[in-house]
Amino acid sequence: MIRIAAVGDVHLGPDAQGRLRPALEHLPEHADVLLLAGDLTRHGTPEEARVVATEFQDVGVPVLAVLGNHDHHGDAVPEVTEVLTEGGIQVLEGDGVVLPIDGHRLGVAGVKGFGGGFEGRCASAFGEPEMKAFVGHTIEIAGKLQSALESLSCDIRVALMHYSPVPDTLHGEPLEIYPFLGAYQLGEAVDASGTHLAVHGHAHAGCERGVTPGGVRVRNVAQPVIRSAFTVYCVEP
Amino acid sequence: MLNPGNGEAPEYVAARIRRALAEDPRTAELGIQVTVKGEHVYLCGSVASQHCKEELDRVAHEKEPTLTVHNDVDVVEAGEPGEPEVLR
Repeated sequence: MIRIAAVGDVHLGPDAQGRLRPALEHLPEHADVLLLAGDLTRHGTPEEARVVATEFQDVGVPVLAVLGNHDHHGDAVPEVTEVLTEGGIQVLEGDGVVLPIDGHRLGVAGVKGFGGGFEGRCASAFGEPEMKAFVGHTIEIAGKLQSALESLSCDIRVALMHYSPVPDTLHGEPLEIYPFLGAYQLGEAVDASGTHLAVHGHAHAGCERGVTPGGVRVRNVAQPVIRSAFTVYCVEP
Repeated sequence: MLNPGNGEAPEYVAARIRRALAEDPRTAELGIQVTVKGEHVYLCGSVASQHCKEELDRVAHEKEPTLTVHNDVDVVEAGEPGEPEVLR
């Protein structure tokens, strides 16, 4: 059994340093790996990234992360990524990693993801250049996610993203903002790649559990949804 | 229906406050629900710290100083989780 801890949307800043630390002290008793599903910071500044790096330093298990829209807000993604990496957090964006755990291989591929909406009610790459760029960004990211997932040689394959691949886990959010919360192309990438579990954040008012059209379990681990420092999924290879 | 006080529909006031809470660097909160009823503003949602919750009050009040702000926002829990979910 591989034990996967996950949390998203911790939104740390200098005033919240140490907020998760008491729960993280016992992390190795609960899990073999920790996944961070984006929105680690509030404004995407290197200063906030240092708070994140300190918070998740030496937690006793590998820490893998993707960035979220908040982490992009400061236009400092390379600096934020560098600070997190120096702190021991592996930041994924269109790539993946395979971890040996208890005689098995856990593969995790990650992307930020993006919006656009879900099948039948989604944006199209048509019209103004801004609209084509919006949808094009989603399509590009979904393609990277699928390639990264397919490249993993592993027993359990997990997709980590910030935006949602399905509408199921958005239940509780206003319907009108679904297109800003995720995109069906992400779910399509998950379904095309033999993935066992997809983990995302972003939807604070959503719900935890959903499933892709192809039957892959999806979990929204935004901290306001799971209401704890992290949650744990046990997956049998 | 228009707000009899200033002739502006409450929906536009709520939209303005919501945008301020998202775009003001002191808050940067995109997920706060804002409802305006007469002279009262109600904020709902969740944030990462008590400091963040207090900043919501400050920014909303600055945007609409004549209205009374009711801050019903939760500070999200950060304790240890319950039982793990086993996926088969």
